[in-house]
Amino acid sequence: MDDERIVELYWQRDESAIEHSKAKYGAYCLSIALRILQNKEDASECENDTYLKAWNTIPPKKPSPLSSYLGMITRGLSLDRLRKRSARKRTDSVCISLCELEDCIPAQMSIAEETEAKELARLISDFLRNLPEHECNIFLNRYWHFLSIREIAEKYSFTQSKVKMTLLRTRKKLSAHLEKEGIFV
Amino acid sequence: MKSEKLQDAIGMVDGDLIERAHKATAKKSKIAHIKWTAPIAAALAIIIGLGVFFSMRGNNNNPIILNAYAVAEAQYPETVSYPEGEFLPGFEERYEAWREYRNKQREYMGAGENLDNFFQSTASQFLKDAESENLVYSPLNVYMALAMLAETTQGNSRQQILTLLDAEDIKYLRKQAHAIWNANYNDDGAVTSILASSLWMNENIGFNQNTVNTLANNYYASVFQGEMGSSDFNKALQSWLNKQTGGLLSEYTSDIEMDAQTLMTLATTIYFQAKWDNEFESKLNTTEVFHSTDKDLSCEFMNQTDSHGTYYWGDKFGATRKRLTDSGYMYFILPDEGVTPRDLLADEEALAFITEAEDWEQSTNLRVNLSIPKFDVKSNLDLTEGLKNLGVTDCFDFSTADFSPLLSTEQSAAISGIDHGARVVIDEEGVTATAYTAMKFAGAAMPSEEEIDFVLDRPFIFVITGCDNLPLFIGVVNKP
Repeated sequence: MDDERIVELYWQRDESAIEHSKAKYGAYCLSIALRILQNKEDASECENDTYLKAWNTIPPKKPSPLSSYLGMITRGLSLDRLRKRSARKRTDSVCISLCELEDCIPAQMSIAEETEAKELARLISDFLRNLPEHECNIFLNRYWHFLSIREIAEKYSFTQSKVKMTLLRTRKKLSAHLEKEGIFV
Repeated sequence: MKSEKLQDAIGMVDGDLIERAHKATAKKSKIAHIKWTAPIAAALAIIIGLGVFFSMRGNNNNPIILNAYAVAEAQYPETVSYPEGEFLPGFEERYEAWREYRNKQREYMGAGENLDNFFQSTASQFLKDAESENLVYSPLNVYMALAMLAETTQGNSRQQILTLLDAEDIKYLRKQAHAIWNANYNDDGAVTSILASSLWMNENIGFNQNTVNTLANNYYASVFQGEMGSSDFNKALQSWLNKQTGGLLSEYTSDIEMDAQTLMTLATTIYFQAKWDNEFESKLNTTEVFHSTDKDLSCEFMNQTDSHGTYYWGDKFGATRKRLTDSGYMYFILPDEGVTPRDLLADEEALAFITEAEDWEQSTNLRVNLSIPKFDVKSNLDLTEGLKNLGVTDCFDFSTADFSPLLSTEQSAAISGIDHGARVVIDEEGVTATAYTAMKFAGAAMPSEEEIDFVLDRPFIFVITGCDNLPLFIGVVNKP
C-alpha cells in the first residue's frame, strides 16, 4: 500500500493504518530504536509507541514521506528512553555522536533555552539542502540514523577516513552556519 | 545539554532528506586503481624483533635440522620481467605479457581500504617524538609483522592485534595480509618493492608445525632454526636482513642479536626502489638554507617546475606530490608557518590526508615550482611502548601473553621488544635507469595560469605510496 493511502486511513481513523504502517515500516523503525537503545525489548516498545504517537498526531498532520515521519517519532522516543538511563548504560553509538556534535557549537556561545527546536531544525534543514548530496547523506546517516563510521563507509563505498573527514568538515560548516544565523547568541 | 538539543533538532529535519540519506547507496563500486609512475626514491624498512622470551623448562623434542638453519625458504610468486629493448623483435609480445601480469595483480588491490585508522594512529604514535631528529616508519611493514604476530597468538593477545588492525577475525586478516602482500610485491625490473618475512626459531623448542606452515604459506615467510645465542645464527639473521634490505640498514642490523633465552625472532622487511616519473635535472640544483628546528643548515636543493602539478591544502598544511614510475606517489606535506610536523601528526585532518590524499577534495591543479632538499633519512625505533599505547599490551607480559598457537608445549612466553629500522633516500635520478617505456597516465589537468612556489625549506612530512595506494613509508625530515 502506498504512503498516501496509509495516511488516508489514519485520517479516516481506521485502525488498519497501524497494521499497514507496521508491515511497511516496522523493520525500519525497529532498526532505528535498536541502534539507539541496543536492547531488543526496549526497542520493540519504542516501535509500538511509535504507532500510537502517529495515531495521535495524524490528523492533523499529513506527513510525507511517511517513513521519515515514523522514523523521526521512533528516534525521538528512543532517545528519550535512552536519556532516562544512567550515563553508564548509555550506548556508545549515541554518546559518540553526541560528543562529535559538540564541534558544532561555538565555544563562546550557548543555546538559549527559548530557542525553539523547530526553528533550529529548519535552519539545519536549510543548511543540509545546500550541501553536496553525499555530504548531507553522510551527516544524516551519522547523526540521524546513528550509523557507525564503518557502516557509512561500506554503504557508500568510501574509505572510513573519507567519511570521518567529510563529517569533520560538515560539522565545522554547520557551526559557522549557526553562528552566522545568530541562533546561539 | 547543548549537543542534546542539537541532536533533537537534527531529528526533526525535513523528511525527504532523511529518506534520501537512508535509501542512497554507492553509485558504483569503487574500483581499485593502479598508478603507473616513476621516481628515484630508494627506500627500505625493516622491523625486527618479536623476540619471544620464555622461562626455559627444557625441551628435548628437537626437530632435526638437515642443513644450515633453513627449514623452509619462501617461494615467491613468479613475476614477469619488464621487457628490455624497445626496438628488438618481440618487444610488443613481451610487453603485453608484462602488462597482463601487472593486470592480474590488480585482483589483489583494494584489500587494505579499511586500514586508514591503523595507518593514521600508528603514524601519530610512532612519529610523535620527531622534535628535532628525522624519523621514518613503514606502516605496511609493521602491518605485516603484526598480522604474523596475530597468527602466533590466541585469546586476548590476538584480539588486541585484530582490533588495532580492524580485522573481524584471523581468517579475514590472513586473507587481507595475503592480498596486500601480493598487491605490493614487485620485482619485475620496472619497480622493486619486495616484502620479506622470516622466523628464527630456537632449536631447543617445540613449535606447532601448523602455525609455522600458515606463516610460510600465507605470509611467504622463510623459516630458520638454530642455536640461539651462537654467533653463527646471529650472523645468519644479520645476513638475511642485509640481503633483503640491500645493505642499506647494515649499521642497525649489525647490532641485532638473539641471545640464548630467545625463543623466536620474527623479522619482516620491505625494500622499495623506484624512479621519479619526471626526474630532476642536477644542473638546476641550488644550495639553499634549510631552517631546521635548532639551526639553519646549508643543503643541496633539487628544483623542478611541474606545469600540471597538484597542490593540496588543509587548515594547517599545504602539500604536493611527485609521481613514481610504475608505483605510487611521494607526497610532501609542509606545515604552515608556526606549525610543526609534530603538530600535524596530532591533527585529525592532516592525518586523514596521509591516507586520503588521492581523493582529497581541497586540491587544485596548477603550476608547481617544487624545491626540495636531497635527503637520506634513517631511524631506528622501538615500537613496544607505542603499540602498548595503541592497545596491544597482553603479548608483552608473561602473565597475560598467549602464544599457544605457536608453541607445541606449555611454556610462558612474551615479546621482549620490537625494533623498527627504516631509511629513505631520494635524489635526482633514481636508483636505476633502465630502458623502458614510460607509461602516461590519463586525466592530466590543463595547465593553469596559476602557480605556486612549494619550497620545503623547513621541517616537513613525506609519505610514499605503492601500487595499491597504501602508505609504504611515512617520515619526518627535520635535518635533510
